[in-house]
Amino acid sequence: MNPSYIQLLLELLPQIALVVTAFALLAVDFALLRQRDPTPRFRTLGRITVFGLAVAGAMLFFQLGQVQAGGAFVGPLRTVVLDPLTVFFQIVIVVVTIITVFISMAYPFTTHVSEYYAVLIFGALGMNFLIASEELIAIFVSLELLSVCLYILTAFHKGMLRSAEGGLKYFVFGALSSAFMLFGLAWTYGLTGDTTLAGIGQAATELAKHGLHGNGAMLGVALLFTLVGFGFKIAAAPFHQWAPDAYEGSPTPATAFIATGSKIASFFILVKVLFIGFAGAHGSAAWGGFNSGWIAVAATLAAITLVVGNTAAIVQRNVKRLLAYSAIAHAGYILTGLVAANALGAASVFFYIIVYAFTNLGAFGVVAAISARVGGDDFKDFTGIYKRAPGLTFLMLLFILSLAGVPPLGGFFGKFYLFTAALSADPHNLGLFWLVALGIAMSAVSLYYYLVLLKTMYVSDPVAETSAATDRIAAPPFLNFALLFSLAVVLWTGIAPQQLLGWIERFL
Amino acid sequence: MNPATHIPWIASYLWLIPLLPFAAAGVSALLPQRCRKTSAGLAIGVIVVSTLLSFCALAESILHGLEPHAGRTWSAMQTHEVWHSLIEFTWFNYGTTSLKLGFVLDPLTAAMATMVSLVSALIFIYSLGYMSRDKNFTRFFTFLSLFAGAMLGLVVTNNLLLFFICWELVGLASYLLIGFWYHRPSAAAAAKKAFIVTKIGDTGFFAGLLWLYHATGTLQFYTPDHTGALEQVTALAGLPGIMGLSLAGTIALLIFCGAVGKSGQWPLHVWLPDAMEGPTPVSALIHAATMVAAGVFLVARTYPLFQASPQVLTLVAWIGAFTAIMAATIAVAQNDIKRILAYSTVSQLGYMVMGLGVGGMAAAMFHLLMHGFFKALLFLGAGSVIHGCHNEQDIFKMGGVKKHMPITFWTYFVGTLALAGIFPLAGFWSKDEVLTAAFRWGGGLHKGPFVLGCLGVFLTAFYMWRQVCLVFLGEYRGGKARAGHKHVGQEEAETHHETAPGVPHESPAVMTVPLIILAVFSAFMGFSGLPEHANFIHHFLNPEHAPHVVNWFVIGTASALAFAGLGAGHLLYGVKPLAPDEPDPLKAKLGKLRDFLRDKWYCDELYEATVVRFVRIAAVVVDLGDRLLDGVTVGLGLLARGVSFFNFKFDEQAINCGFDGGCGSVRVIGRCFAALQDGRVQSYLRLVAVTAAILAFWFFLK
Repeated sequence: MNPSYIQLLLELLPQIALVVTAFALLAVDFALLRQRDPTPRFRTLGRITVFGLAVAGAMLFFQLGQVQAGGAFVGPLRTVVLDPLTVFFQIVIVVVTIITVFISMAYPFTTHVSEYYAVLIFGALGMNFLIASEELIAIFVSLELLSVCLYILTAFHKGMLRSAEGGLKYFVFGALSSAFMLFGLAWTYGLTGDTTLAGIGQAATELAKHGLHGNGAMLGVALLFTLVGFGFKIAAAPFHQWAPDAYEGSPTPATAFIATGSKIASFFILVKVLFIGFAGAHGSAAWGGFNSGWIAVAATLAAITLVVGNTAAIVQRNVKRLLAYSAIAHAGYILTGLVAANALGAASVFFYIIVYAFTNLGAFGVVAAISARVGGDDFKDFTGIYKRAPGLTFLMLLFILSLAGVPPLGGFFGKFYLFTAALSADPHNLGLFWLVALGIAMSAVSLYYYLVLLKTMYVSDPVAETSAATDRIAAPPFLNFALLFSLAVVLWTGIAPQQLLGWIERFL
Repeated sequence: MNPATHIPWIASYLWLIPLLPFAAAGVSALLPQRCRKTSAGLAIGVIVVSTLLSFCALAESILHGLEPHAGRTWSAMQTHEVWHSLIEFTWFNYGTTSLKLGFVLDPLTAAMATMVSLVSALIFIYSLGYMSRDKNFTRFFTFLSLFAGAMLGLVVTNNLLLFFICWELVGLASYLLIGFWYHRPSAAAAAKKAFIVTKIGDTGFFAGLLWLYHATGTLQFYTPDHTGALEQVTALAGLPGIMGLSLAGTIALLIFCGAVGKSGQWPLHVWLPDAMEGPTPVSALIHAATMVAAGVFLVARTYPLFQASPQVLTLVAWIGAFTAIMAATIAVAQNDIKRILAYSTVSQLGYMVMGLGVGGMAAAMFHLLMHGFFKALLFLGAGSVIHGCHNEQDIFKMGGVKKHMPITFWTYFVGTLALAGIFPLAGFWSKDEVLTAAFRWGGGLHKGPFVLGCLGVFLTAFYMWRQVCLVFLGEYRGGKARAGHKHVGQEEAETHHETAPGVPHESPAVMTVPLIILAVFSAFMGFSGLPEHANFIHHFLNPEHAPHVVNWFVIGTASALAFAGLGAGHLLYGVKPLAPDEPDPLKAKLGKLRDFLRDKWYCDELYEATVVRFVRIAAVVVDLGDRLLDGVTVGLGLLARGVSFFNFKFDEQAINCGFDGGCGSVRVIGRCFAALQDGRVQSYLRLVAVTAAILAFWFFLK
């Protein structure tokens, strides 16, 4: 055996720990717990899952120290590249997964408990590999591993029609997007003769030297198809139609996982592909100076996404659907930072996806805790819920305000950095000012629907039919811990944003 | 000894001093109303800790000052011989721009923090007794903590922006506290007035802040590498500003606007007497330790800017002198015990501002510190009297209280003599410092502030002795009038013990002990500022200005005038005690002039007729414009809703409806596959393909 493969295995110990945890879960569940009630099984197996994830997290933490001291580890063909940034984001993924597990433990919805946790872990595994890879085939395979797990999670609520519908829709769209992406990646390989991002970057720069015409135009098509494929993954309009159904239909913990972990991983790899692979074919999106390239496409998608996501959210009357459209809108903000196409842009995107992930985890955690008790997640189920769940509602208030970008919460600095990055790309002409102005205008619109949700929860009187129950709703302790942890991240990034941004900038 | 390398431990923990009260405010804001003891205990506990920390800071800076400094000369002042221990941290930065905040430990901070936290602590304890019956007790302590935290925050900060934030928080807390009994219309109006009037000054302050940032690129007062905003004054003094002033002078003028608002200087003094509508401990806090001191402290903190511009200093001196004399004359003709003290505060603030203007920064700060002690004492004493006289505030309905409230009387007596500037109490030393500085300032017309100041000394002694005679001496005049007496404040009544009507009674120990402590400070703290070589506080606050010699002329004049004032007061009010319904003897002596003084020089009326009327007219005009704009906004809103409705319909019906309908009609999951095959996926595909084609055409193939 090639010694470098032994080293590879050693470097991948955290991921191996994840796989072992998944199989251990299945074994324990089938051997010992099959006959028990779902609720205790959810808790027992959840604890095992958290333990496994924590072990993997500890290993990653150790690894972070190693790669910071000893330089990045580069696997064969650059399929696995472990530098401080990727390891840091792997840790974030593991933490997000742990919080998802905590939310799941409060929301026992199925009898296939170990399968559920195992699929969750495999999803996290896919994200781990996706973040670490810098090679087209590895990227595609990791993305598929991740996506298939998410389809299953979406449809996991087997008794519910909406869950099946959402899962199916997600799957159809996902398959389509994979086809697009594969087409784009294949063409990219054909044009550049390389599958590593760095190699592609060199060849693409050569091809795009005289603009994207002639041979360059073919590169443009490859780029476009790849971007369309990613557009599905990040739910950018007009490739977003799967998101509202999938978010609404999924069991709430799975929604949280889709909305956060998958977003982190997808945006991370999108930044890598665009910044490294298509570095030469950037074009421009300056007002009056549109020039073919990925910036132009991304800026267009960003503008459409901002408008569609924010306006469609206004009329939603289901909390999870509302958060889905809000997620679409946030993809628009993140794309705005992405088109800055410089180090600040990358740092601001990375900062934002972390803040956004923890804010959404908190919001979905509250939704899970409440809807598990009131039996639904429409606005009418949440009307006047303040009286029954004051603590949870207050947490929701903070998370929603962070999503809306109200200082001093993390969401404010996230948006601030994204917009500043977009403006800093061209500080003299402010070419991207139109996009930033649109983003700011749309975040004003977003305040409306966020406040409608808060008003429903705080001010409105409960609807007659649901007001019968008046008992207090309180989250179990582990969920409380998860929510408070998310809140801590949101507050920390809001009060001392410099710290997280400083880490990211140092790792870049 | 290099201050940059040696950071005393207390400097690293300076941030705790304001943060603790803030944290207490935050915690007790979340407590239910019934947790009265927890809230009060928390507030008092943390303010005591803050006080102890402040004392540590004071001790550290005194020890630091004792170490030998070599080569203390005039030229050394430019490279700040006054030492500063700095703690800096970056709040956030982006690219090359960064926002740094920080804290500074220097003698000014240490002395001010000690006074503020000590006086606040005593007032907090006093409030325990004074507010014991109020049903919003918890909220009261929340606001008090916020007030103290904000004030201590602006004392320790090393950054003008953080200073401004705390400054505004002080304004907010004062608004909340002045309007604490918000069901009383006059309290609500006074709170609004305080907020709005000080805000006028703040506008100037904010403009100055922005200009300073623009000119120097930093808002740190001092930085370790000597590039702070106050360390670039030499450069600023060379640049042109507006109205023939240098840039330093312009910024100083704008910053002074903020101080005028907060410290109640003419022409923005009108809010301060109205602020008496708040509970008495709040008045004490505002007048002694927190709010009004903030303005003077601001000028002291940014003093290098002022020093660079003699014209602005002249203006400052005259405004201070004018305020001092004007407020003193108004105080002479007031009947409300708290209002007299309020105008007295305005007058004393005038002295401090005058002191700043004539170049005596240390003298002004000395007076500020001493005034903090005796004014807190007087206010708390007045509160005790009001408490004891069943919420009566009119001094003509009091009298003879000395018999019933001996502790209150003797402490009040000490405070009165201190304020009047009688040897050897605190006010004597500090006022002497200010007047000496004014005397040495210049000749000719520039002796004006000194003359006005001396007149003020006479008036101060007069109105204070008038008050003491009417309140404490003679016979009690309130008992018989009680039938027709209406309760001014229902709430205030609820807060108090109802005892037998008609007889004043001494307050409980929780209120009198702070009085005694403050009286001790008022009596003896002045010795920290003995003139001649032992002038410790002068050395401490401003080491460059070498100690000056004793000016016996100033001391003699001021003391003579003070005794004359006391004597005049005694002749008029003390020799023959007033009968219950006898009018003020001053009326006969002064005639129309007294009405003019009683009505506060008609300042409020003047503002009502000019500024307020103008604003009303402007408001009507703007309102019309707003209505127009409103139409546009509503139209835009409708448009946005229309777009979103269309979008929704498109998403839900054009795209989802068929799918949902298909799914809804079947109950078995497998049947969804059938639904998928009825052609809907093609429509998704079509949309995606069309989008991709359009994008490709648009960007790459055109």
